[in-house]
Amino acid sequence: MTCWFAMSATETDVLRLSNSSASPRQLFASVWECRELITTLARKEFFVRYRRSSLGVLWAAGLPLIQATVLSIVFSRVVRIHTSTSYPVFVFTGMAVWTYFTSTITAGSTSIVDNSGLTNKIYFPRAVLPLVQARANLYGLAINILIVFALAIGFGDGLDAHILILIPATLLLVLLCSAAVLTLSALHVYFRDIRYVVQALFTGLLYLTPVFLPLQRYPSALRHVVLANPATGIVQLFHYAIAGGAADWGHAVLISGAWTVALAIAAVYVHCSRDRVLADLL
Amino acid sequence: MSGSIVVEGVGKQYVKYHDQPMLAHALVRLAARSRTDRLWALRGVDLRIDSGECVGVVGRNGSGKSTLLQLLGGITAPTEGTVTVYGRVAPLISVGVGFHPELTGRDNVFLNGTILGMSRRDIERRFDAIVDFAEIDDFIDTPVKFYSSGMQVRLGFAVAVQADPQVLLVDEVLAVGDFAFQMKCLKRIDEIRTSGASVLLVSHNLSMVERLCRRTVVLHEGTVRYDGPTLEAISTLHALLDDEAQVQAGAVEVVPNVADVTEFAICNGSGTPVNATPTGERLTARVSVAAHRDIERPFVGLTIDGPRGDAIFHQGNRSRPFPPLAAGERRVYEVTWNAQMPTGTYGVRMHLGSIAADDKIAILSEPAPVTLFVQGKLDAHGVIDVEADFAAGD
Repeated sequence: MTCWFAMSATETDVLRLSNSSASPRQLFASVWECRELITTLARKEFFVRYRRSSLGVLWAAGLPLIQATVLSIVFSRVVRIHTSTSYPVFVFTGMAVWTYFTSTITAGSTSIVDNSGLTNKIYFPRAVLPLVQARANLYGLAINILIVFALAIGFGDGLDAHILILIPATLLLVLLCSAAVLTLSALHVYFRDIRYVVQALFTGLLYLTPVFLPLQRYPSALRHVVLANPATGIVQLFHYAIAGGAADWGHAVLISGAWTVALAIAAVYVHCSRDRVLADLL
Repeated sequence: MSGSIVVEGVGKQYVKYHDQPMLAHALVRLAARSRTDRLWALRGVDLRIDSGECVGVVGRNGSGKSTLLQLLGGITAPTEGTVTVYGRVAPLISVGVGFHPELTGRDNVFLNGTILGMSRRDIERRFDAIVDFAEIDDFIDTPVKFYSSGMQVRLGFAVAVQADPQVLLVDEVLAVGDFAFQMKCLKRIDEIRTSGASVLLVSHNLSMVERLCRRTVVLHEGTVRYDGPTLEAISTLHALLDDEAQVQAGAVEVVPNVADVTEFAICNGSGTPVNATPTGERLTARVSVAAHRDIERPFVGLTIDGPRGDAIFHQGNRSRPFPPLAAGERRVYEVTWNAQMPTGTYGVRMHLGSIAADDKIAILSEPAPVTLFVQGKLDAHGVIDVEADFAAGD
């Protein structure tokens, strides 16, 4: 079940279809051949979103900035929290990760159904659609990280070599979200409730992610729940990259990694066996 | 540049869920199987289309045409059998797929081209040819939402045909756009075909199928009923459609129990019933009548419905009726006429009537119409064929 043809391929464009599953290798190969398609669709996704507003792409940075400002004012007045960096920098770092996490998973998990106009008409691996969301939101994440840098310098926290940790941290974040949306988007074709399950989960999950509170400030009973949250490890890594300081992230990162592996296995399994027949149910 | 299609023993089964499967159901009754209907949209289909061939696919709605196109386009996988497509596929089923109204024509060409599998470099190289083909150069940097629907279709079509596909899947899309652009598209499709691509044309427009394809496949209830010369295929299709029309006949108000038409057929010069004919052929419409009562002055009427469904010709012999029929008698009435029409699908109807002593007319029987495809002369259009000849003087 190979599928997608690159223009450059000369004579070997052969599409062979039967009622059998693709191997993971074939799946990876076909998605890899679509990398240009993913980029093009992701750019469209990101830029079309702000097309009609006069401030344009500035909103991508403006919205989370406003959100973080409001939250850090509220939290710093209501509860005194000591963090390794100034509190706004702490909150905004967490928000950058959280924004990517929620927006990718919310849009990604419904992407195959939402794009039925495309999937009913032409074939490319359906796995492309959720991956487009993971890719499109990288623009927003990049903008937010630049704001974090500016804030960290502005509040006198400074930056050091630790920021290199952002590279593996971002990689883990993208992998986790990709695996999650690949699995959820295929399930969503069969179970349309997924959309609401995801929304419901996210309303509570923000308070179980160390965005406003450092992990050690959670009551010990709740700390285990926070640790089980797949986003926690990544947020911790980002905090460590910006603030340096105590390395209390190892445990949480392992849990995020375990989530990623489990979801990735599920994603590969679902898309190998179902990728080509998903359109039948749209 | 050569492409070909091999379809072997293909069946596609769709599962019709009575309800959308719910997460709650699935969780509560993991063991219980959902109530489902299974439906074979295609079964046991074998098909081979070689490089340079243009093959038509016809059939009524629900015969499996779209499923076949979806399989060849790789949009879904067969339940049994294998589909093999050699060469790059351009599904013209879906011109302009992924066009975004907020983006400019230029952005959409790149977006659509990438979806069709072209690389950015390829699109850049063909960009001018695409814009040129679509005839929209002044508007290429305008958002597509300001385009007319014709412009959108032209741009979508231009991207698809400039992709140099080796396998072209053509749907009803050609019905859109003005006549001149349609001709341009047909010309381009033929160019692609002669360069070695295989073309599959799925259409209800039999004139177009007849024009473009020498070979045509008739699909009926998910199976291939006929595969061969186009005119024969269209005849087969019409015979299938007439069978169904027969079942639904009886919608006209007729005086019952006086006489029945036991048979109604259109025959060619050698007396064989036909559903397709070349223009100008001498045809005979024949009804076999069985009278149950005495009929003083029987007559028949011949009506021909044009491709748009309006009657283009009617004549009866009310003024010169046939000799009387006695109860229990059987007779054959024939109307001979010339198929003086250009290419198209026509409906031929006949009715049996009688004129009473007080000159009142009653319709006694009206059999289901016979569908007749007329294969016209090249470049002839209109309602009638006046048998034009073209000559240059000295």
